[in-house]
Amino acid sequence: MKMNVNLLKLSALFLALPLTANATENELVEQGKYLAKLGDCTACHTIDEGQANGGGLPFTTPFGIVYSTNISSDEEFGIGHYSLEDFTDAMRDGIAPKGNLYPAMPYTSYHLLKDHDIEALYRYFMSTKPVKQENRDNDLMFPTNIRMGLKAWNLVNHDSKVFEANADKSEKWNRGSYIVNGLGHCGECHTPRDVMFAMDQSRHFEGELIGGAEASDITPKELNRQGWTKQDLDDVLRKGYSRKGTVFAGMYPVVFHSFSHLTKDDMSAVTSYLLDNDGEVAAKSDTFNGHDKSDPGYDLYKGYCAGCHGINGEGKPNVSPALIANATIDKAIPINTLSVMLNGVEEQRYSHTHGFYAMPSYRDTLNVKQLTELTNYIRKVWTKQPSDLTESQVQEWVDKIEDSIADAAH
Amino acid sequence: MSTIALSINNKAIGPIETSDDVMMIEFLHEHLNMTGTKFGCGVGVCHACTVIVDNEDGTSESVRTCINGVSRFNGKKIRTIEGHAKENEFGEIIKLSPVQETFIENFSFQCGWCTSGFVNETTVLVEKLKLMPIRVNEIETVIEKALGDHVCRCTGYVKYYKAVKELILSTEGLTRP
Ligand code: FES
Ligand code: FES
Repeated sequence: MKMNVNLLKLSALFLALPLTANATENELVEQGKYLAKLGDCTACHTIDEGQANGGGLPFTTPFGIVYSTNISSDEEFGIGHYSLEDFTDAMRDGIAPKGNLYPAMPYTSYHLLKDHDIEALYRYFMSTKPVKQENRDNDLMFPTNIRMGLKAWNLVNHDSKVFEANADKSEKWNRGSYIVNGLGHCGECHTPRDVMFAMDQSRHFEGELIGGAEASDITPKELNRQGWTKQDLDDVLRKGYSRKGTVFAGMYPVVFHSFSHLTKDDMSAVTSYLLDNDGEVAAKSDTFNGHDKSDPGYDLYKGYCAGCHGINGEGKPNVSPALIANATIDKAIPINTLSVMLNGVEEQRYSHTHGFYAMPSYRDTLNVKQLTELTNYIRKVWTKQPSDLTESQVQEWVDKIEDSIADAAH
Repeated sequence: MSTIALSINNKAIGPIETSDDVMMIEFLHEHLNMTGTKFGCGVGVCHACTVIVDNEDGTSESVRTCINGVSRFNGKKIRTIEGHAKENEFGEIIKLSPVQETFIENFSFQCGWCTSGFVNETTVLVEKLKLMPIRVNEIETVIEKALGDHVCRCTGYVKYYKAVKELILSTEGLTRP
């Protein structure tokens, strides 16, 4: 019996041998595959029901429509003809063999990537299934339709520096920063943009309105104030829902395609970086200040919200998230509270057993007075935010939300 | 406690006291014994529980009663499945509405669980088209948009679709050249 086991081991060794010759290449491809998930490349470079990495997804920017390109290994239509140097230039500086890329491609974040990771990504993309799909022409207005202008834009707005660790911080924090700011390219949505449409690094991660909803303020200051623990962030980024609420709008596909695939160590690095804390973070107690039945907002809450979110904001498992402890309603400026009321939320499935049903849009149902009363009421009952928003403030935010739907940018 | 007074099928109801977390469908079933509005999923997905709310500006909208509390309907005029057919003085049905008729002619439903929702939604649609007629080639998209969220477990959707299409085409003023 013993001998048989040894024989088995031996034959396993022989079987393994031919493979090891290729191990570094295969390992690189595997690493690249993981990194491509972190970068969420396929999500932007694939149209619904299209072939993976074939490109063609439209991005509406304030300057017109930009279509993502074919990044499959196809030599004619994709990037199969790229050398590693070409690929590096595209990732770091947005310079493709055929000309400059529009900064909808987040080379403005990817430049942080280390050489080894760029090579792994390159090997991976060269191993993908070639897709015979021609790139679409962009539909941009003058002068942004002239690619030459991008050189000037890059000169002023782009810094192609590779990631440098912050010596004052731990290795874990630095790994988190590398993921979040590099491949994760979180700043592309969460950092406000300046007049040149570049990320305004002086307001790093302070939040930006995109396509009718706000990519929230994810600075450590705000996340800690709202009472996120590491587990909460791990839950929301990996599963899409947490004690602190759920992801919606543009963040839902990011969780689905990208963050849910993070290794345990990488997720722990990300949450340490986001909360700027290597240790555990204790949960704060939930806020429920009780109902004020004389407030006109109470009637609105009962009539429009309580059916799904529960009379005390406790939510319904697999139907709708709780308002208790929900970070979306606990913000100084209630853009996202108003955004979900106006736009509703699409049904979201996170796994076979978990998901939330759609929230209806109240755009044509609630007027500004009602939106104001309801928003103030929700803040009064479930947050420590002041509940004295005026109708004119709310109108202003509503207008901003509606405007941002027209020019949803990456 | 909440107090509610409203008009249902042109009849004044209330003021009636209910507890704060009562959804409209419970109010219809338990307080008024109006059980024509069907309860399916209870979480806003199947649309079986849809009723019609008539707004002051003359427009009407469909609203799900399982996820909306009674206070949403306070002071409003609503129509339920019980209000479509004409009745005689003894409360006997003497004539169905055109929507009901076309569904019966096309054998659109079987168990009837989804019917209250389909009848109300289609009625809202027909009323909308009266104000804003559509082109014939838009019919399919318009029906899909209006009724696409309604779930039927029995006969499938083909017969509902066929019935609604027939009704739109045969009613004057709903389509334009
Ligand atoms: S019972 Fe109301 S939508 Fe299903
Ligand atoms: S008739 Fe039975 S569910 Fe539609």
